[in-house]
Amino acid sequence: MPETLLDVVGLRVRFGGAVEAVRGISFTVERGETHCLVGESGCGKSVTALAVMDLLARGATRTAERLSYAGTNLLSLGERGMARLRGDRIAMIFQEPMTSLNPAYTIGSQMAEILTRHRRVSRAAALDRAGDLLARVGITAPGMRLAQYPHQLSGGLRQRVMIAMALMCEPDLLIADEPTTALDVTVQAQILRLLRTLQSELGLAMLLITHDLGVVAHVAQRVSVMYAGEIVETAPVGELFRAPTHPYTAGLLACVPVPGSVRRDEPLGSIPGTVPRLASGFRGCAFRDRCAHAMAACAEAAPEHLAGEAHRYLCQLPPDWIRDRAA
Amino acid sequence: MTPAIELRDVARRFGQRSGLFAARREVRAVDGVSFTVPAGSCFGIVGESGCGKSTLARMILGLMAPSGGDILVDGRRLSDLPRRERARLIQPVFQDPFSSLNPKRAIGDIVGLPLAAQGIAAGERMRRVAEMLERAGLRPDIAGRLPAQLSGGQRQRVAIARALVLRPRIVVCDEPTSALDVSVQAQILNLLAELRREMALTIVFISHNLAVVEHICDEVAVMYLGRIVERAPVDTLFSASRHPYTRALLDSVLVPRTGLDLPDVGLGDLYPDPANIPAGCRFHPRCPRADAACATTTPAPQRIGDRMVECLLAAE
Repeated sequence: MPETLLDVVGLRVRFGGAVEAVRGISFTVERGETHCLVGESGCGKSVTALAVMDLLARGATRTAERLSYAGTNLLSLGERGMARLRGDRIAMIFQEPMTSLNPAYTIGSQMAEILTRHRRVSRAAALDRAGDLLARVGITAPGMRLAQYPHQLSGGLRQRVMIAMALMCEPDLLIADEPTTALDVTVQAQILRLLRTLQSELGLAMLLITHDLGVVAHVAQRVSVMYAGEIVETAPVGELFRAPTHPYTAGLLACVPVPGSVRRDEPLGSIPGTVPRLASGFRGCAFRDRCAHAMAACAEAAPEHLAGEAHRYLCQLPPDWIRDRAA
Repeated sequence: MTPAIELRDVARRFGQRSGLFAARREVRAVDGVSFTVPAGSCFGIVGESGCGKSTLARMILGLMAPSGGDILVDGRRLSDLPRRERARLIQPVFQDPFSSLNPKRAIGDIVGLPLAAQGIAAGERMRRVAEMLERAGLRPDIAGRLPAQLSGGQRQRVAIARALVLRPRIVVCDEPTSALDVSVQAQILNLLAELRREMALTIVFISHNLAVVEHICDEVAVMYLGRIVERAPVDTLFSASRHPYTRALLDSVLVPRTGLDLPDVGLGDLYPDPANIPAGCRFHPRCPRADAACATTTPAPQRIGDRMVECLLAAE
């Protein structure tokens, strides 16, 4: 029986009252699993992560029917309670390691601070652990790196430092927002391998936010596809790639050129138009203006359908619509 | 036939000081690059960040002078061409449509600026801007709007319209889709392919995305620390590359298919530094196949079949 670490039901985020960036989403992250939130820019995936961590900018409001971490209700935890949880039980890494590291402090002092803030340990002991973790994430000469400043490291090394830093307090859940997007492809594979190794060794659960379906296919166990603030389809990774059922998911997969199987004289698949920004109270399916299969009922609602035991999607079309069309 | 672009041993060095009292170091961003691009073809340049591909693009555009070697466009030295003539011949499309368009100017003015710079009268200018916007897949009424009112994909269409409004022969695209979402990236690539056919363009296409390069290019050059280490027709490069670095790049791509293991390309943790280029083969410290000779002998470019490759082990 898997243990649910993060349990989110009906999460909504509004900015300035009018724009609703996250429109009532529900998902879970089980202990030890990797759940990917995938979508294009503006779909609300990063806002979702910030909302879970209670790190939204001022002016944004968060509501949810349930938001709990390992049985603790995060909605009633308050600022001090959240501060104790962040960096300790739940850690986060961001896309651009240069902007998330403080340029004025050494790697060692930034790493040690996390441990001295959350645990009763000496600075020397914290620095020891920081050195151990740098070695663990594959950084050679960790002693020298501890004394260096962020600008002295390459992008790949900085991201390894961010990962080591996130592990200082042995968290149960790691929220990673586009952790490899700013890196070269050759480094991306190394970082993802590292994350996977650490995950199996430490039993870490991961909520991985990305726009890259190649990354999703290689690391996720479950995938939730976001569009305009909603999770429009969620499924185990194999099922999502084998039988994408929401027209947006199917369209997105058709857009990605795959090396070695590119048909050079044919146009790539593309989705016309752009992602809408929706106000609260929006009705119907947000994808209908870009969808080739839209019908009158789409303006009313996008009902939830099951395409498999753990495979849900929001659309008027029945689960077998793709097979029917192909026949 | 005269090639559209010819580079002969082009180099670019920068002086860099890492601190007030630190010694000046020399960064060799581009270190002896030669190739020709036939008229009407699409030439791709790929490589990791810092390999010199954007510096090369700036030199081909005439925005930066080479420190050594020659760049010929249409058989004439680029440095001899007057600015206006160069602008009629070569135009750029840059990566980030959010910073490459003047935020205070209306779209019609932005696209019309290259025409104005050539002294073309206002009436003719408006007609050609409207025509070009339409060819780039934009509605003509967009001419009155500001860049901030457009989406990323629309802005990149504006950048393409501005590049093509003078009907140049050559377009240099530096990561033109890297800042865009995949669904929009496909729209822009399809547009470029269509305009290339209609206007018989020669394209230099710089990207870190190999799949995109495979889709649009005829020939591809792989850059590593300022040199082209392998150059081949696109099908050869993707099916039978000979340079270990090209292999590593291709193997690193995560294809959107499940059930595959994460690739282990064996490049190690050493990151290339253009201020400190290794002796021998410049790739040898990261190369999974390197032997003792690679650390001392600099590989000369050699032709194998329809490819050029710089690797001591390529013939095996």
